[in-house]
Amino acid sequence: MTTTTERPTRTDAPADAWGGTSMVTQITVLTGRSLRALRDPRMLIMSILQPLIMLTLFSQVFRSVAESPNFPKDLDYIDYLMPAILVTTGSQAAMWAGVGLANDLKNGALARFRTLPINMMSVLAARSLFDMVRNGLQLSILLIAATLLFGFGPAGGVLGVLAALALALVIGWGLAWVFLALAAWVRNLEVMQMIGMVAMFPLMFASSAFVTTDSLPGWLRVIAEINPLTYAIDASRGLALGDPSWSPVFGALITSGVIAAVGAVFAFRGVRKP
Amino acid sequence: MTELMIEAEHVRKVFGDVVALDDVSLRVPKGTVMGLLGHNGAGKTTLVNVLTTVLPAESGRASVAGNDLTTAPDKVRSSIGVTGQFASVDELLTGRQNLILVARLLGASPGQARERASDLLELFDLADAADRKASTYSGGMKRRLDLATSLLGHPEVVFLDEPTTGLDPTSRVSLWEIVERLVDDGTTVLLTTQYMEEADRLADSITVLSNGSVVAAGTAAELKADVGQRTVAVTLTGESDPAAALESLRRKGLRPMNEKPQRALTIPVGAASDVAVVVRALDDVDAEVSELNVHEPTLDDVYLALTRTKTAA
Repeated sequence: MTTTTERPTRTDAPADAWGGTSMVTQITVLTGRSLRALRDPRMLIMSILQPLIMLTLFSQVFRSVAESPNFPKDLDYIDYLMPAILVTTGSQAAMWAGVGLANDLKNGALARFRTLPINMMSVLAARSLFDMVRNGLQLSILLIAATLLFGFGPAGGVLGVLAALALALVIGWGLAWVFLALAAWVRNLEVMQMIGMVAMFPLMFASSAFVTTDSLPGWLRVIAEINPLTYAIDASRGLALGDPSWSPVFGALITSGVIAAVGAVFAFRGVRKP
Repeated sequence: MTELMIEAEHVRKVFGDVVALDDVSLRVPKGTVMGLLGHNGAGKTTLVNVLTTVLPAESGRASVAGNDLTTAPDKVRSSIGVTGQFASVDELLTGRQNLILVARLLGASPGQARERASDLLELFDLADAADRKASTYSGGMKRRLDLATSLLGHPEVVFLDEPTTGLDPTSRVSLWEIVERLVDDGTTVLLTTQYMEEADRLADSITVLSNGSVVAAGTAAELKADVGQRTVAVTLTGESDPAAALESLRRKGLRPMNEKPQRALTIPVGAASDVAVVVRALDDVDAEVSELNVHEPTLDDVYLALTRTKTAA
């Protein structure tokens, strides 16, 4: 033992037994690596803070929306708002997948991965999976807070809420690939966060997230009605309120899939460049 | 013939309209160290990137450990270890976690990965810091962890891209010793460096790159013989006659660099035994010597001479 551990010899272990590994193992190992970051709860707390503040503010400030003539009768504003918060928070969190990848590109972890016998798609898939787990945690905390503090309890019941949560996760996952592609090509955290803000913020407000589209002024209504986020929010709301309309649900799922696929192609090509 | 572990033929790589590598060929036999010398931007890192399958070459062919870069990149990646110019360690993980992660990606079972990680932490003097986050490591420790990571899979060929840049002298020497042990065990190493001392100590053969082209190749001794010149510098005492000394040296067939008689004379010599000829020539005319120095050519001379001619051309 003493003689073999002193030198990095090629003969002290069955080297050739390590003949690479399957993509499933690669993705599992790499996702596990990222999950360790969750042991430091500061990141999670920071990322939950903003949506929590938004939830508090919007549920109080926009409360009067529920009294406007266009608003559905007998509906609590929190039950109307929360499914939208799930979708918008989930979409905004997609940016974090890009941030994680950009960090890996900067600190050299990606440089190492490029020289290993692994598929770079595993690296990206692990990032998007991890992001989904984190997003799931974040949205679950938000749901608990909304239920306990603001009396969230929509007609769809637990199942409806879980379906809305799942939908928000799929949408966030699809968008995560856009940010992975951005990170792979732009490789600059500030620029990426800027794009994320500029793209997401107007989309969020010019939608059915906080008010019914009928109550928006004409030009804004036009934007809101072609805004893909409106469809995603309507789908989530339908599920939570126990009145699902399936075409926006499938629309949101298919759109997310297409966005993910396109994002994946660009991310894969970008991430291989040193 | 010894087995070639790195073989590159007419490799060319272009970035836009910048030719990063132009017709680069090199061969590295098993168990030897190839030193790749060149200034910043000479193409060293690009060549390492091409040979480690990170960048595709425009044209030419190359194989590493017997596997072609373009047809069997995964086999190449399984047989190499790469330590880049900047330590590629995950600072959020501990040293041990870094090693286990890469071992698992190479195909080790969790048990094998843990065992191999412990061995390497011990070997690289990182056992005490093994369970600390890599972000708390010093530069030298990060480099050692990086190198340990490269050696996890028992690579047949190890690429070290400026491995000691920015290290303190002690860390540098300990890294050299690790490289020497690796080579003793049959590993083939390609090392890029800006330090002549490093190439002189470690490299069995040296390739000098300048502006993407190979400007010289050979052993350190060959390069020095080609370019550098051994000289003898003598200083005569005040009583000696410089003119007679110069004359006597010329009679012996030596060609002192001095045109006119001077107390300080510089005489290029071929073999080391020619130093005796210098002494005898001076003795013949009773010239008294107060100082005599033999200057061996250094790789610095070689490097400067080569890159100077290149830029002049």
